[in-house]
Amino acid sequence: MFKRKLAALDHHAPDSFNINDEREIRNLVLWLENQKIRRYKIEDRAPLQATGPEWNANFEKYCKDLASPIADGSMAEKLEWLIGYAVSLEYSDDADKYKGQTAENVSKIVVNVPKVESSNPLDNMDFESPDFKKGILALAQILDVTPHPDHLVTLKAVSKVVRERLSQEALDKPNNIIVKGKPFPFQEADLGFDMGDYVLNQAAKILRLLYIHDLRDLQTGINETIVAVQSITADPKTDTKLGQVGR
Amino acid sequence: MVVRDYNDELKYLERIDANSWRIKKGFQPNMNVEGVFYVNSALEKLMFDELRNACRPGMVGGFLPGMKQIANVAALPGIVHRSIGLPDVHSGYGFAIGNMAAFDMSDPNSIVSPGGVGFDINCGVRLLRTNLFEKDVQPVKEQLAQSMFDHIPVGVGSKGIIPMTAHNLEEALEMGMDWSLREGYIWAEDKEHCEEYGRMLNADPSKVSLRAKKRGLPQLGTLGAGNHYAEIQVVDEIYDKWAASKMGIEEKGQVCVMIHSGSRGFGHQVATDALVQMEKAMKRDKIETNDRQLACARINSQEGQDYLKAMAAAANFAWVNRSSMTFLSRQAFAKQFHMTPDDLDMHVIYDVSHNIAKIEEHVVDGKQKTLLVHRKGSTRAFPPHHPLIPVDYQLTGQPVLIGGTMGTCSYVLTGTEQGMQETFGSTCHGAGRALSRAKSRRNLEYTDVLKKLEQQGISIRVASLKLVMEEAPESYKNVTDVVDTCHAAGISKKCIKLRPIAVIKG
Repeated sequence: MFKRKLAALDHHAPDSFNINDEREIRNLVLWLENQKIRRYKIEDRAPLQATGPEWNANFEKYCKDLASPIADGSMAEKLEWLIGYAVSLEYSDDADKYKGQTAENVSKIVVNVPKVESSNPLDNMDFESPDFKKGILALAQILDVTPHPDHLVTLKAVSKVVRERLSQEALDKPNNIIVKGKPFPFQEADLGFDMGDYVLNQAAKILRLLYIHDLRDLQTGINETIVAVQSITADPKTDTKLGQVGR
Repeated sequence: MVVRDYNDELKYLERIDANSWRIKKGFQPNMNVEGVFYVNSALEKLMFDELRNACRPGMVGGFLPGMKQIANVAALPGIVHRSIGLPDVHSGYGFAIGNMAAFDMSDPNSIVSPGGVGFDINCGVRLLRTNLFEKDVQPVKEQLAQSMFDHIPVGVGSKGIIPMTAHNLEEALEMGMDWSLREGYIWAEDKEHCEEYGRMLNADPSKVSLRAKKRGLPQLGTLGAGNHYAEIQVVDEIYDKWAASKMGIEEKGQVCVMIHSGSRGFGHQVATDALVQMEKAMKRDKIETNDRQLACARINSQEGQDYLKAMAAAANFAWVNRSSMTFLSRQAFAKQFHMTPDDLDMHVIYDVSHNIAKIEEHVVDGKQKTLLVHRKGSTRAFPPHHPLIPVDYQLTGQPVLIGGTMGTCSYVLTGTEQGMQETFGSTCHGAGRALSRAKSRRNLEYTDVLKKLEQQGISIRVASLKLVMEEAPESYKNVTDVVDTCHAAGISKKCIKLRPIAVIKG
């Protein structure tokens, strides 16, 4: 009960408040007065701290002092109003901050910010800020990456270089990781078709190269798998006694 | 066969350009398409002499001349485009050796013919490179040749040194090079650099006769006889340095190992069994051919399907065979140089098959079609970017390995786009015989042949000296003429020339 309103008030246990427990009711009322409503001066709050049956009378008086419209209602109704009153006080304390929370704005916030609060500082970065763009450009220059008009594409390329060429493994044993390609005059290589346009043909050639690169990775993976299986199954034998040279 | 005199025959032949001739319909009866053959002036003379001899009165028996055989193939049901004779074409059983023909799979009348594949199913060439140079090998050439000879049994009736059980053989027939990989005889990269990745997936060992399996079992890992050989070769010339570099060949003098072998008695038996079945199928389905040797069956008939499955098993046998010899060659080199095959960089450059029928996609008259391509004494030569060639050769085109004859040179070519269009990505396979085996035996002395090889500085180990003269270079067409014709016609491109320094033969 009152979960949302209590949460809005930063109550310490909005989920577990139990309306049937008299002690909890008394503590809640005292907490509301102390933290949020502050109708009485601190020294005048003693009646609400009472532990005996006199508390009920004191609470009736408190409600009257706050001009609560609920005179004969149940305890739940009285508390409902009291908490609502505290929320309204909280709102008027900082109305500017809260009045922007229209349905439209709220839905926008939900889209932009992941609900789960991330501990990754990168999630809070502004990827479109000029600073960020400048940083990527600088990084690309250091790593010899040709910048793309879309800085996020450049970032992708930079990340690829870092992952593949600057990993601990690649730095320790560069010969194992970094492929030593041999040059090949692919500009003169037969493309296999002609699209009738120099620029398109160039682009197609580059696509061919990228495809071959992917294919090489696939084939290498296949070979590695075969070798792994071979280490279990292989047992080559020869027996020269079987050999016989023919006529 | 139509009997005409030589001058009448010539009316059906028409020069297309400097390197090719057309065989017009009517040269033989019922031709569905035209024939074509590729030659240069030297090879042209051989072809026409052969035809003239066959036209002389009283010439009966023996094989028909190559041109007639090409034309007879053009008369087979379902053939598309053209019946093509490559520059090394010469008479064979039914189909000429060096004949390529493709049949439309969507035509229910299309046929498959064992004569279009040949008896040595998946006979082919494999080339291994090393990081050694001629100067490293020359001083130990004799020892190395002997070591190779000790590891790889050769000759008719030879038996291999890799232990095989009947169960192993069944698995090998189904798995091809995957079996060799599983057992650890070869490297993962070997499979990558092999036509079909060393395994025909439609192989079905249950379609192979027990007799074939019995013949094949002891023969795995043996070279065989005839024109088969293992050679230690050195790079003599590099024509296309970029393509060569993609194959790991950087400089002249680099040492390579070439293995030319096939499916031994196993493939021969599969072909023989199939021919018997096909004769029955021809009668039943009323298939007419110009030549009894062109026995065939509809692709979709039981006999046709059985043959294709058994042929695939024989193809797998041949790949396991060449893989076993790859293993043995690596061992021989490792022992000689006290280095691991890895350190010697003994990678397979490529492995081609030049006696096979395969289902491929091609463009015929602007339409994509599924064809059954018969290549008999013809090598697949796919262009750059073809999806069926290894990633390492995507920019260069498929390496095409052309084995020369004993003591002459061998070549590596690459496939071209023009070849894809003109010959369904096919090119020559070797020198091609010029003299029959019997004629070679009559005309040549084996001592002269051996002396000549010795003068050239070539070490030789043979199982049978008597067979040497059958394989003497004089018995063959000049491989350089053959390769130059393919290059000039544009159906493949010269890349590397190799010359032998040691030969191991059956």
